[in-house]
Amino acid sequence: MPITFPHFGSLTYVFEVVLRELQRKDILFPKKPSKKTSELGSRHSPEFVCTPFKMTLGTFIEMLDEGATELGMGGGNAYCRFGYYWPVQKMILEDLGYDNFRYIMLDFLHPLRIWKVLKEESNGCSYLQTLRAFRIAWIKNRYTDLVDKMLYKYRALELEKGLSEKIANQAFRLVVETEGLRNIKKLEKKVIDLFEQNVPIREEKDPLKIVISGEIYVVLEPSLNVDVHRKLNELGVIVESTPTLRSFIDVGHKLNPFITMHHQIARKTAQPYLQHRCGGEAQENIGEMIIYKNKGWDGMVHLYPFTCMPEIITRSIAPQVSREHDMPILSLVVDEHTGEAGFQTRLEAFVDLLKRRKMETN
Amino acid sequence: MKEKHFSEKISSIGKTENKRKKTALRVGFPRSLLYYKFHVLWTVFFETLGAEVIVSPPTNKEIKDVSVKSAPDEDCYSTKLYFGHVLYLKDKVDYLFIPRFSSDHKTDISCPKFIGLAEVLRSMFPDLPPILMPYYSKAKDGHGNIRLIRIAFSLGFKFTRNPFRILHSFVKSFRRFKQYHDDLYISEDELRRWERNEFVFNKTISTTNKTNPFKIALVGHSYVINDSYSSLSIKEMLLAEKVEIITSEQLPRSVIEHQMSKLDFNMYFRYEREILGTVMHFLENETVDGILQLIVFSCGPDSIGGEMASRFSRRKQNVPLLQLTLDELTSESGVTTRLEAFLDLIERRKKLKENEIICP
Repeated sequence: MPITFPHFGSLTYVFEVVLRELQRKDILFPKKPSKKTSELGSRHSPEFVCTPFKMTLGTFIEMLDEGATELGMGGGNAYCRFGYYWPVQKMILEDLGYDNFRYIMLDFLHPLRIWKVLKEESNGCSYLQTLRAFRIAWIKNRYTDLVDKMLYKYRALELEKGLSEKIANQAFRLVVETEGLRNIKKLEKKVIDLFEQNVPIREEKDPLKIVISGEIYVVLEPSLNVDVHRKLNELGVIVESTPTLRSFIDVGHKLNPFITMHHQIARKTAQPYLQHRCGGEAQENIGEMIIYKNKGWDGMVHLYPFTCMPEIITRSIAPQVSREHDMPILSLVVDEHTGEAGFQTRLEAFVDLLKRRKMETN
Repeated sequence: MKEKHFSEKISSIGKTENKRKKTALRVGFPRSLLYYKFHVLWTVFFETLGAEVIVSPPTNKEIKDVSVKSAPDEDCYSTKLYFGHVLYLKDKVDYLFIPRFSSDHKTDISCPKFIGLAEVLRSMFPDLPPILMPYYSKAKDGHGNIRLIRIAFSLGFKFTRNPFRILHSFVKSFRRFKQYHDDLYISEDELRRWERNEFVFNKTISTTNKTNPFKIALVGHSYVINDSYSSLSIKEMLLAEKVEIITSEQLPRSVIEHQMSKLDFNMYFRYEREILGTVMHFLENETVDGILQLIVFSCGPDSIGGEMASRFSRRKQNVPLLQLTLDELTSESGVTTRLEAFLDLIERRKKLKENEIICP
């Protein structure tokens, strides 16, 4: 019974880790979504559903054709329509004539339910072994996030083009393949060393820094956001993306009373503008603007899929926050028709604007 | 002489009323979105408190033009209209009442936009009057009756200092709200009798007529069905065509819950349950001649519910389903044409069915 899951940026490695730890041998790795994937997905999707739905549906159709039978997907009552992805996709796939498949639904808001489902789907693991696998996954997720962060920094300043990406791939493999908790805990230093020793960077005084936030799938999946991170890096801008799956699955940090997770601070910061959580990363993104302004970052790029319900709220409130905190923001809508050239022009203009602002303030 | 005295008395009454009204604070309800679900509750509550309730007029062209111009361009059509209603009320009220309502059920929620709407408006139009925005969410924050009473008091003290008056209006409004629901929802027994053609809702149809009228289930959000401008007065059009309508609002809750229990997942959008439940009920029982679903463009829950409805109807093809997507650019003539075609289709199907019965 080959199992597969949607391609999800660097989180693909985390999913791989979980399945390996659960002793699954029949993992079918998802293909990187291409133009064909999005076309396939949007052909069979409802008209104005959000873009991640179309993308994941396209991926699943491609993977079912390759012989996958178990489809892992998030779900649960998540304020927005994300929880309906799997029932509707199931219906669509059934109508398309696929019959030998089933969905594995992971309610990402409730770690206990994830634990239970993982146990059922594992290759004969006990509850304790499953918990261990899950724990390793959330710990490794911290390091995949770290690799992302390092990559987005080093790619902007690298001397030899393409080197940091090569190193990042090495680092990802290192994170995935490291075994034993003791070794895993050492990964942080290893990853940082790997970048520091191997990627020569140019000395630049005070480079531009832009934070990328928005809906988690769009921010993390480069094939959907036409690789905004790389585009900004190539313009010599250091970027950092804020949404992370750890805000849901990192139970270790959640239970630790001495650690306040970043998204909690962000939610608290956003209170004067948006008091209650309304799904997606709406509240976090507003808080993020203020936090990163105070950290001295230059601007923010806000990405969200077309018709995303919570992010439209962010987008409508963002101008006020931007005005009051003097933080430039660029909101970009992503859908299956998004063109690279359009994004490139807008990003270049935004970066130019930030550069001029910086020159004036200096 | 007597008459004069009487008229003076009347005018003096009017004067005192005017004086009282001048001091009464005015609360504005935009006639859009949740207003159509909760108008009885809110109106009774604020009126008993002694506030003057001002409701924006039913959507008209002016309001639509303002909303399309001022609202974020990606919001759904109904949310856009909300902006127009709010801007209409802007200078006419002391308070705007825009609750941040998430859910009144243990697990089911409503559209996330309802939570953010008040804050979005405050942020986009800083010159709005103060907005009353109580937050209530049973599903996500476990709010219960105590929270409701706290909301009532925090709202009430803005209008009166008498706590008993607040409590009175709280109890009265909820009693009237329950009464309103009892009147709105038909019972299962009534539904069965309606399905057997024993009575009709449409008063223009004479019951003595032997041929049964067309029966159409009109399905959609209550803020679409009841807003005749945004739904291009489809309801009125059907009523004038002597079509018997049942709406998704009216259906007994037990029927909807029964249909929802057949799904292998929890349909957690509260108002989408109503819509999908109605569609599924009539697809299963085949007691109506057609189902007409009104979808608002770029509505999140509808994109899911509409797709499910269309796929269910494709699997069970005995009752035709027409889905109309409405937005600010929809033309009335286009809708009329499709509606007429739909009615013709129903008529032909009906005739075919009758012929089959006569000569099988």
